[in-house]
Amino acid sequence: MSAVALDQPVRAAVADPYNWNRIKRLDRVGLVITVLTVVVAIFWAFPIYWALVTSFKPEQDVVRPGIELWPERFTFEAYTFTLFQTKIGIWYLNSIVTSLAVTFLVITMSAAAGYAISQLEFPGRKLLWWMILASFMVPIPALIVNHFVLMSQFKLINTWLGVILPQLIAPVTVMIYKQFFDSVPKDFREAAVIDGATELQLLFRLYLPMNWGITTALSIIAFIGAWNAFLWPFLVTTSENMFNVTVGITQVTDAFGVKYARQLATAILAGLPVALLYLIFQRRVTQAIMLTAGIKG
Amino acid sequence: MASVELTGISKRFGAVEVIRSLDLNVADGSFCALLGPSGCGKSTLLRMIAGLEQVSEGNIQIGGTDVTFLPPAQRRVAMVFQSYALYPHLTVRGNICFSMSLAGMKKADQNERADKVAKLLQLEQLMDRRPAQLSGGQRQRVAIGRALVRDPEVFLFDEPLSNLDALLRVQMRLELAKLHLNLKTTMIYVTHDQVEAMTLADKIVVLDKGIISQAGTPLELYNAPANRFVASFIGSPAMNFLPASLISAEGKSLRLGLAGKSEITLQSKQAASAAASKPKEIGIRPEHVRLLDPDDKAAALKGVSSVIEQLGNTTYVYVDTEAGTMIVEGDPALSLSPGTNVGIGIDATRAHVFGAGGEVV
Amino acid sequence: MLEKRRSQTATALILIAPFLIVYGLLFVYPTVKMIGMTFTDAPLIGSGEWVGLKNYYRLFSDRLFKVAFWNTLYFVLLTVVPSTILGLVIALGVNRLKGWWQSAVLAAFFLPYILPVSVVYRIWNWLLDSQFGLFQYPIAYFYGQNVPIFRTLPLFMPTVAWVTIWWLIGFNVLLFIAGLRNISSEIYEASELDGATRWQQFTRITWPLIWPITVLVATIQLILQLKIFDQIYLFSIGGRGDATLGMVQLIYRAAFQKNQGGYGATVALVLFAIIVIVSVLQYQLLRARGEK
Repeated sequence: MSAVALDQPVRAAVADPYNWNRIKRLDRVGLVITVLTVVVAIFWAFPIYWALVTSFKPEQDVVRPGIELWPERFTFEAYTFTLFQTKIGIWYLNSIVTSLAVTFLVITMSAAAGYAISQLEFPGRKLLWWMILASFMVPIPALIVNHFVLMSQFKLINTWLGVILPQLIAPVTVMIYKQFFDSVPKDFREAAVIDGATELQLLFRLYLPMNWGITTALSIIAFIGAWNAFLWPFLVTTSENMFNVTVGITQVTDAFGVKYARQLATAILAGLPVALLYLIFQRRVTQAIMLTAGIKG
Repeated sequence: MASVELTGISKRFGAVEVIRSLDLNVADGSFCALLGPSGCGKSTLLRMIAGLEQVSEGNIQIGGTDVTFLPPAQRRVAMVFQSYALYPHLTVRGNICFSMSLAGMKKADQNERADKVAKLLQLEQLMDRRPAQLSGGQRQRVAIGRALVRDPEVFLFDEPLSNLDALLRVQMRLELAKLHLNLKTTMIYVTHDQVEAMTLADKIVVLDKGIISQAGTPLELYNAPANRFVASFIGSPAMNFLPASLISAEGKSLRLGLAGKSEITLQSKQAASAAASKPKEIGIRPEHVRLLDPDDKAAALKGVSSVIEQLGNTTYVYVDTEAGTMIVEGDPALSLSPGTNVGIGIDATRAHVFGAGGEVV
Repeated sequence: MLEKRRSQTATALILIAPFLIVYGLLFVYPTVKMIGMTFTDAPLIGSGEWVGLKNYYRLFSDRLFKVAFWNTLYFVLLTVVPSTILGLVIALGVNRLKGWWQSAVLAAFFLPYILPVSVVYRIWNWLLDSQFGLFQYPIAYFYGQNVPIFRTLPLFMPTVAWVTIWWLIGFNVLLFIAGLRNISSEIYEASELDGATRWQQFTRITWPLIWPITVLVATIQLILQLKIFDQIYLFSIGGRGDATLGMVQLIYRAAFQKNQGGYGATVALVLFAIIVIVSVLQYQLLRARGEK
């Protein structure tokens, strides 16, 4: 029985000459697919490239007819103008402060809550867990009206704190921490308990350091998310001095008129931090994104 | 150093009782093995001594102090886990120093003690590596080092060798034995491997379904098992069991009938009337039976040889008899082909008789 | 034992307190408040009179609500299905590549996903600029003249949808690649020995095994696109805002621009309900697969 099953495919692969031909033909198809993939990838990256190239051209060249794939005359004029003549410095500061604060607060809160739910016995634990799971499906944009009301009651419109607070709701981060803390073998906990660790020491000296990679990944993605946030910062800041970069570059257009190179230079400066973060921490970023989508990668 | 005394220990998980009012006394400086199949409660027992599980009833004393309600860290015990549980984010030094670091000891003192332990276990070269960079045996040594540095009064081992390959297991077994010789600290060792228990321990406690089946020295357990469970669990290859029925009894002398109309006469181990306990089986180890000519008058059973395992220093022959398959230890130079008719001689003085409940008769 | 539990409860309280405060203050309280607000004629800031179900009746007669609702559905249709299919196709292509090539190609698809929406807006606004945009060259070639795409109503939604697909496809590709990597290469080798063609391999092995990821990707995109605001808002600056309105934009317009907090909250609650229903359906769909 088993001998027959083993024999057939071997014969099919070795004795049948047509099969070999087909494999060769298939490889040609494979090559076409590969080339196509690379061409599409180039097409996909092109808009970013085009924006970059444009930002290094003098304004006269930008609006000149013809396709100039590499700047004939190379200039930093658009960048120097943006950096020194616009409020992008202040917007950058606003973005950095609020994004770092959101990242730090979300990570510490989630790690602590995730640990408690995963490892500690306390009344209401199950209830809390179900509430977090349920809140997962609540769309935050639906809450903008009441967030705004709340922030204005606290007199936080046009403040950093006003930008930060509504961005702190992150049930996913708690869920991911709980999952990872759950998967730490009990032996580690017990070994540390015998070694004399208290609950807080268990968290800070064992569970967190053992999952350092997750914390890094989640921090990066939290930062990118906060940096890229648009709707809420757009609603809660109305003064030019309180804008985030992402809001600022879309709100203050008159200053540039139709200076395309300058517009693109500001856009590139706005996207640069997150693009760099991604390029440096590619693996961590992709890991974190898969985690937030519910795939353990 | 300290003795460990358990009195009336019970452990229930919900309605399931895993340990039933158990008493155990481990003398100061002894090496005690808790032996049994998985699910017998041996790990739970160890974890209760460590303080990782609360007892449902009873009392635990270590070195004369009642530790029943003390947290693990205050019991002066150290434990080596089956998985070793080496903290993956710390170096070997970090692992060894972890407990001292938690207690807030000075860095210099930590390092001094860690170095001492490292020297004893030959870990000096590995101090800056991480667990992932170590071999199985090295991890094992680090786990022992981490326990050792706490200078515990009792060492607890939870199947520490079961993750190692066969060769390394023998090697580490030897190192553990040496460690005990050097330290003379009380050690309690959980295992399901009877060879480990026999080679390491000076006292073996065989657990079966939450109660102590028998406790004693390795040879006591081997030579005089208290019941069928211990007899079958200890010894490799396992003891042969043959169904038997009582023909007549005169005092301690029993005449038993085996399958195939053969008879055997042997001495009961118990003073009381043996007939009352209704002998049901006899047990005989492979080395206490001999292969004979099928027509030999001394042959208690006849059978046909099947598989023959030649190990070089000895030979095991599987013989199909009317009473079932038996393993017979034979001469290393034995030349026998499968399918041969053989007779089997039983050394009646070394046979054990078991009653219907598995108790020794 | 009891003492241990008590100390654990105390530690747990300390650890979850910050989360609980934030969660209660910024999530539970606004949600409850929002539901209450839908029964009033409150302005954005300040309290209003109880008006019962008036806001809900108004939804049915509000032309803008209909526009916003259908625009949102239209946008969802234009983005979710194409981006799911395209994501899988690209992932299949990328998954064939090895080593350095694969990371480079993956980065090309993924980089847009990392960028803020306003940067994406700037990039595409420039590419499609009605005067100097690069894409106007092919448009002029085929159509005869430049087209102000974001001022041309029938083109607006499809173009914004395309930009959205360009922006977010990296996420879908990533999830599909993760799914494809989970399929052991031995299965493919075995099927090759069994004489399966490439197409058979896809339909008989890859597709059934990747189906759960497809459901996941599609539902994540669905929920995300139902909340569409940023791109539509940005590309319609200075244009005919009403015709391209989405649901979240309607909330914004009612509450923030017309100062009708009660009505804005009502629209928000409807959106909220739609998304909860979709989430529950997703959960059921995934669970049904799990049971199979």
